[in-house]
Amino acid sequence: MAVSEAQGVVDEEKSQVSDEGTMAELRSLLLGPAEAQLAEVHERLLDPQRQVEEVSRVLPDAIAVRSQQDDDLSTALAPTVSAALEYSVRRNPQPLADAIFPIMGPAIRKAIAAALSGMAQSFNQTLAHSMSARGLAWRWEALRTGRPFSEVVLLHTLLFRVEQVFLIHQETGLLLRHVSAANADVQDADMVSGMLTAIQDFVRDSFTTRQGEQLDTLQVGELTVWIEQGPQAILAGVIRGNAPQQLREVFVETVEKIHLQYGTALKKFSGDASPFVGTQPLLEECLQSGYDLEHQQASAGRKLTPLKVILSVVLVALVVLGFFWLRDRRRWDAYVDKLRAEPGIVVTDTGKQGGKHFVSGLRDPLSRDPAIIIQDTGLDAQSVTERWQPFQALTPDFVLARARKSLEPPTSVRLNLNDGLLEAEGFASHQWVVETRRVARLLPGVSQFREDKLFDLERIENPLLMFDVNQAQIRSDQQEKLSQLVADITHLRQLAGEKKITLEITGHADGSGTETQNSTLSQGRAETVAAALKTNLPAWPNMAIATVGSKEKLREEVTEADRATNRSVTLKVIVSNTN
Amino acid sequence: MLGTFAVGKTSLVRRFVESIYSDKYHTTVGVKIDKKMVPVNGSELMLVLWDIEGTESEHEMRTSYLRGAGGYLLVADGTRQDTLYKAIALQERVKETIGAVPFLLLMNKADLTDEWSISERETTALHEKGWEVIQTSAKSGFGVENAFHSLAKRMAEA
Repeated sequence: MAVSEAQGVVDEEKSQVSDEGTMAELRSLLLGPAEAQLAEVHERLLDPQRQVEEVSRVLPDAIAVRSQQDDDLSTALAPTVSAALEYSVRRNPQPLADAIFPIMGPAIRKAIAAALSGMAQSFNQTLAHSMSARGLAWRWEALRTGRPFSEVVLLHTLLFRVEQVFLIHQETGLLLRHVSAANADVQDADMVSGMLTAIQDFVRDSFTTRQGEQLDTLQVGELTVWIEQGPQAILAGVIRGNAPQQLREVFVETVEKIHLQYGTALKKFSGDASPFVGTQPLLEECLQSGYDLEHQQASAGRKLTPLKVILSVVLVALVVLGFFWLRDRRRWDAYVDKLRAEPGIVVTDTGKQGGKHFVSGLRDPLSRDPAIIIQDTGLDAQSVTERWQPFQALTPDFVLARARKSLEPPTSVRLNLNDGLLEAEGFASHQWVVETRRVARLLPGVSQFREDKLFDLERIENPLLMFDVNQAQIRSDQQEKLSQLVADITHLRQLAGEKKITLEITGHADGSGTETQNSTLSQGRAETVAAALKTNLPAWPNMAIATVGSKEKLREEVTEADRATNRSVTLKVIVSNTN
Repeated sequence: MLGTFAVGKTSLVRRFVESIYSDKYHTTVGVKIDKKMVPVNGSELMLVLWDIEGTESEHEMRTSYLRGAGGYLLVADGTRQDTLYKAIALQERVKETIGAVPFLLLMNKADLTDEWSISERETTALHEKGWEVIQTSAKSGFGVENAFHSLAKRMAEA
């Protein structure tokens, strides 16, 4: 029994064991495949390496899915990312700098462009109110070209601006990449690229150049094209204005960088330019510009252009011509004024004819000669045509002057004109007095001749002091004549004033008797008269005694009366101006 | 565009690019650059056309203009036989300079049938040599599109 019990136990055990075995079998039958998986899951859960791999597999998708749902992930990551960046920069800033380099240039340029644009705007406003000549000229240019005014201002204050940059394949002349500044005038870049290449070929072919010598600059008006050669590619920049030499270095560096980065692509190039899209930031770096606003504004007025030079010359010429014209005009006016003011000249017409001044009118021949008047004005007598009609001026001056000219009065006579009345004062020969009486009234402007104050020398020269035959004594009947003579000579003395008067006393004799006797006789007669006059007129006048005897007879002796006349003494007044 | 004087290179380019023809003759000095997009096998190919000045002989040609060329059109005047011989000589020179690149021979002025002076035999001989010869008229536009497209196609396949 024990055995059987034992057996039974064993059996029970057996059956228990076999139960367990069955269960395991059952379990393995039921869960067989899953068990391995479970084990694997178990293992996975415990193995961190596996976990990393698992997460890494789903992480990108998970982030993408979560990012679409909400911003929690960004919020959660932000501190980490910023800490990571900070760490990265602290450790080595270069990679980050390299990474953001391509976006820096455009960003900065954009900022500068915005600033410049703003500056132009303020210019716009300033100039809108300032009606300066330049401002107006710029406004006109803007109107004419259809450009915004601010752009015109920028263009004029621009020192230089790289407007376009071409990256050209050396071998084919095909365009690899083209960038241009905002507002730049851009033609078809592919064609320009071909043309630039052709021009270089042309220059190389047409002019003997040494190895390595290339066309590096083209100049067209305000535009300059800089060509920078590389082994596989050419960089061409179109520049408005005068770029500084430093910019050339930028070009060189750019060509070098492009060759470094795109060397293989350049060598493989067969017409597809898409691999060179990445050169854009490099090329854009070359799109530089320089403004010198203050200086430009200050110096714009002083800048010398050919037009300005020509205008200045013309202006100077105009000023000089204007000066001469004005001076000539003033001199001419002064001359005409003088002519008008000149007595005896009547100006009837003046003007300019064939580049010469002309003046016409009436002129009294006694007036001043215009040729003398013109000397004082500075005018060239050759440049003046004068046409004068002679006339007689009736102003007192001219009437008097004409009277003097016609009457030729001796110096001892003074002529006066008063209201048409011509008056002679002083003393004159009888002949002159007679002539004047006749002529004076015929003179234009003279209505009357007055001689009240005129002493006719006849009163001294006419009387004969007669003598008896062969006598030198003054006859008693001649005493009255002598007294009258003394009175007249005294009167003459008063009239003569400063003038020197000499009385020439001439003795005569009749034809009877010898010549010697007559000479002595006439001398005696003259001396008698001289002595008599001296007695009555002490100290004056000077006397000269002349004896003519019977040689110069006063009358031909036909009758006794003629002879009596010849027995006489005559007086003659000689006037000399100086004492 | 290669060929001797007055064969119509510039007129062909103008006809192709701008669809214009003018009877006036202008001598090209140096080179004129033009471009046109041409559809080839479903995509657009840009042809940059170098219209090179005509020269009396192949020796006078500026070979530097050939540098980098992807293909070329030899142009002869169908009414002037000598221009064909010059085109043939020119081709030799080009081959020496830049090697074998796709090209076509254009017998231009096809509108002037009365004055035509190229014999059937000559054309056949060229065909046998492997040359593609196309008759064109810049004046009427005949064959022009075809010529440029054909060259573009050959260049794309090269």
